Formats: sequence, C-alpha cells, structure tokens
Amino acid sequence: MTKKDQDTDVKFIQALAEVLTNSDLAEVRVKREYGADSTLDVRVTRAFAPVAAATSAAAPVMATAAPVAAAAAPAAAAAPAPTETSDDPASHPGAVTSPMVGTVYMQAEPGTPPFISVGDTVSEGQTILIVEAMKTMNQIPAPKSGKVARILVDDGAPVEFGSPLIIIE
Amino acid sequence: MFSKVLIANRGEIALRVIRACKELGVATVAVHSTADSDAMHVRMADESVCIGPPSGTDSYLNVAAIIAACEITGAEAVHPGYGFLSENAAFVQVLEDHDITFTGPSAEHIRMMGDKITAKETMIKLGVPCVPGSDGGVPTIEEAHRVSDEMGFPVIVKATAGGGGRGMKLALTKADLDEAFSSARLESKTAFGNDEVYIEKYLQKPRHIEVQIFGDGKGRAVHLGERDCSLQRRHQKVFEEAPGPSITPELREKIGSTCAKACADIGYSGAGTIEFLYEDGEFFFIEMNTRLQVEHPVTETIFRVDLVKQQLRVAAGEEMTFKQEELEIKGHSIEVRINAEKLPNFTPCPGKITTYHAPGGLGVRMDSALYDGYSIPPYYDSLIGKLIVSGTSRPAALARLHRALGELVIDGVETTIPLFHALLDEEDVQTGDYDIHWLEKWLDKQAEA
Repeated sequence: MTKKDQDTDVKFIQALAEVLTNSDLAEVRVKREYGADSTLDVRVTRAFAPVAAATSAAAPVMATAAPVAAAAAPAAAAAPAPTETSDDPASHPGAVTSPMVGTVYMQAEPGTPPFISVGDTVSEGQTILIVEAMKTMNQIPAPKSGKVARILVDDGAPVEFGSPLIIIE
Repeated sequence: MFSKVLIANRGEIALRVIRACKELGVATVAVHSTADSDAMHVRMADESVCIGPPSGTDSYLNVAAIIAACEITGAEAVHPGYGFLSENAAFVQVLEDHDITFTGPSAEHIRMMGDKITAKETMIKLGVPCVPGSDGGVPTIEEAHRVSDEMGFPVIVKATAGGGGRGMKLALTKADLDEAFSSARLESKTAFGNDEVYIEKYLQKPRHIEVQIFGDGKGRAVHLGERDCSLQRRHQKVFEEAPGPSITPELREKIGSTCAKACADIGYSGAGTIEFLYEDGEFFFIEMNTRLQVEHPVTETIFRVDLVKQQLRVAAGEEMTFKQEELEIKGHSIEVRINAEKLPNFTPCPGKITTYHAPGGLGVRMDSALYDGYSIPPYYDSLIGKLIVSGTSRPAALARLHRALGELVIDGVETTIPLFHALLDEEDVQTGDYDIHWLEKWLDKQAEA
C-alpha cells in the first residue's frame, strides 16, 4: 500500500467517524472491493455515553437509546451503583471478566501447577488462566498488578462472555 | 431427534424455534449479547449463554463464540433462524468440522445461491425461468435490435461495469432503442471508463412472488405454494400474503413443480425460498434464500404445517413428512411486520415498552418477543413483532387483520401499526391490486398531502 492510499483511507475513516457521531449511530461498517486483491473493510463503532437529559427534540433516537445502552453495559461503569448488592463479584472493581465464551483451564496443561493461587501477587500482563474456545487456547492476562483475592471459577468450568473469573486487589 | 439444539439468533425468530423444539421435546440453548440479557428468548430457553458485547459482529455473528457455546452446553445442532449466520457457508463448514449439525442446507448450496451469477446460471440449467437478457455484452446497435426483438420490448440497457442506477437506460419501444443504447454507452464510458452494455427485458409493474420449497436432501422435494410480498419499502417487505391474489391454481402448479424439481435435482435439504418477479403470467428468477423466511407463517397457516419442526426433523436425519399430494391450501393468510419505527420516515425507535397487549381470538397469531417493561435495544433489527391472521377467504382475512390490529397495543415506542390501519383503507390493498412500486408511490403521495 502506498503512502497516498493510506492518507486517503485515514481521511475516509475520519469521515465515517463523523457520520457516526452526526447521525447518532452506534456502528458503521463499509466494505469496498477495488479489485481482486485490493479491498477495504472498515468498521467504526462507539459506545453510547449516558445522556443526562435530551437536549433538543432533534435527537429523539439518541435520547431513548442512551439509557438502554448504559443499562446494558454495567461492566463499563468504574464503580458499582449503590443499589447493586456488593457481594456480586462481577461488580467488584477488581473483577477480571472473561473476554469470551469458552472453557476455563487453570494451568497450561494437565498435571502442571496452576497459573495462580489465592494470595499470589500478579503483575500486569501475566497469564492468569486460559479460556478455550474452538480448540484455541486463549491466554488471559492480568489487566493490572496486584494480589489475587479470589478465584471465582474452577478448572474445566464453562464461562460466558463477561463472567467474573478472579478478583485482583 | 436431537436432544439439545442451540438457537443462534434473537428476537421473535429465536422464540419461534424454541417453541418448535419444546413441542418436539428437544432441550434449547439460547445465546445472547450483554444487551439481550433480559430478552424473552433467554427467559424461554432451557439454558442460555452470553456470547459477547452488544454489537452483532461480536456476538450473534461471532462464529467462535457460538461454537464454544455449543461445546460448553453440549448442543448437537444449531438453528440459525434468519439473518445473522443463516446464510453463511463458512459458518456451516466450521460447524461440520466440529461435528455439530446445521439446521439448513449444505455449505455448498448456500455458497451456490449466495453468488448471484452462479445462482442464475444454476437456475437456468435447472429450467427455472430467469429475466431474459443478452448473453454478455452487446457491442453494436444491430445486435441490440436483434436481442431486443427476440425478448420483446420494453427493454433496459445496462452498463456492464454499472451500479447505483447509472448507465441504465430504458427503451419502452423499438423506436427508443437507438437513443437508449447510445446514451447508456456514453454514460457508462464517462462514469465507469468502460462502454460495454448489456440488455435485459424490463418489467414495468412486476409483483414479488416467492415459492416456498422444502427438500429432504436425498433427492425429494416439495413446494408449498407462493407468497406475494410486493408491498415493500426500500426492498424491505412490510405486508405478505398467501396465496398470491394474482396467482391461479394452474400457474401455482406450474411454477411450484418447476421449483420443487430444481431443488430435488440438486439434492437440496431443508427449507428454501425461490424469489421471482412476476408480470403478465410470467415468472423471472431473482434469487434463492437458503433459509427460513421472516414471512414463513403465512405458508404454515394456509397449509397447516410447521416448517421449523420439519427443518429439525430433516436436519436430524429423519424422513420428511411432507408429501406433495397431501399439501393442500385452505383459506388465506396475511402477515404484517410491526417495526419499532417512527412514521412517516420509518426512523428506528428503540426504547422501553410500557404496555404490550397481543391480539387474540380465532385465526390470529402474534409472533413477538415483546413483554411489558422490555427495553428494545438500539443495536439490532427494528422488527418487534409479526401479526399473522387467517380467514376462509381473502376478504375474511382482511377483516380479521383489521379487527386484530385494533386489539394490538404497543405503548412506549413508535411503531408501524398506523401504516397498516391506513393501508387497509386503500382499495388497491382490499382488491390485491398492487405491484412492487405501489407502496413507495403511495408513501410519496402521503408525504405530499
């Protein structure tokens, strides 16, 4: 790809991002086939920011959409809402949640020691466990350094997207 | 039969499949995004798995997540519903590699019909009628006259490199052809740098007629008549009915048996729909959908069959119980699509449902995943319900639709319900005299008024 193509693409993506914001959309995807081995596939997404109040009648979709989006993504909130029960591990600020659906493995292979135990100190980026999906072993890194306070899953357990795995304090 | 099926979809179609599974004694697994944790399909399934964040690309279209969900729940088969992964040959291939059954046709058939050119070539070989056209580019005006005379006017001259309506010129009569041919070439040269054009027969007021077929994958196939889905806005169907008001029993038998034979010949498995443009007693192939259609309930109603159960049976390797000689039409059925959209511009309108009341009574079916207090997420399709009515005749079905629409209450969001009240007042809708352009013209007229 030439420098000129890259510049054009960057401009194009910037234009898409503008379309996204101006039209209150959550996602824009464009596929273009310029030739046999020259394609462009861009997906621009954004999270809905909670809106305190509808500012004008011009954005009715946004006004109704925002609370839904905000309610649907409680994990995105930094601190748990006061009404939520504090013993829900998913809402714990140190909770590490599964980035995918799959099966948890606590060690690299059967018979070897587990990656982590309660009380261990982990550093950011260190593998804490594996989630297997479609025969692929996905190493899950610690998102931050700290002490392993709780391990919430068992070896071989199925996990969903967003399931709390461990708590790092 | 399978012991457990995963439904790789959401909304009313996920419920539709769960209902069929329950009646067959099959355990169900719902998959959902984080935005759909409170959705009805999650509540109604025996198990559920969260497969990703709200965006469809990362959840309902995420092949790895759906395979992993099958593995952790032990589902033996996947039903894809419509949309999402229902016509994705690569997904079907991956399922096969993981020994999970796909409820639908083979990856090969999905691929074949997914490519417009291959699909058309295949259909021509199978004897299914297609829009007559020149075989490739037409280099000279003499050749243009020869092919146009052969197929009959009106014809449309199109740029081979074209798209988006540019390089397209209509010749209503033979006298218009010279002008149309030269201006299409000139426009094509200017717009696309290539002046090659081809010619196709032009249909002025076609109807959208589609034939429901079902194959057992072993060389036997049946047809279940047609649906008329001509009332469309921007290629989105809004009102569908069966049987088609313009289709005689003779025409139905002719096109139906042609389609059934084509599917039998290629060994097609499961439900499929062959779509046509229809004008003056002639059918012209558009495309084939290798899946269950949104509007399948009207066919189920007039034939008194369950297409989803039959799909699951055939996918599980059991015999297809449909027999052509036993498939007989009784009465008339109409479906209207209720979308969370604000009229007159059909702007998507997600939000919280404050009150939902489904219509009832004889001959009324409401397929919807709504409930009181449900929040329609902004990430997906705006279809929130399908109202399907039946009657002994077309007028009886229309009267019932009018009655049922009056009972339906969806408060909290704007919906397309008022559109159907207005359409039922139109004489053309009452008599069934409409084509694929009718609704857009009518909407334009309403906008001006």
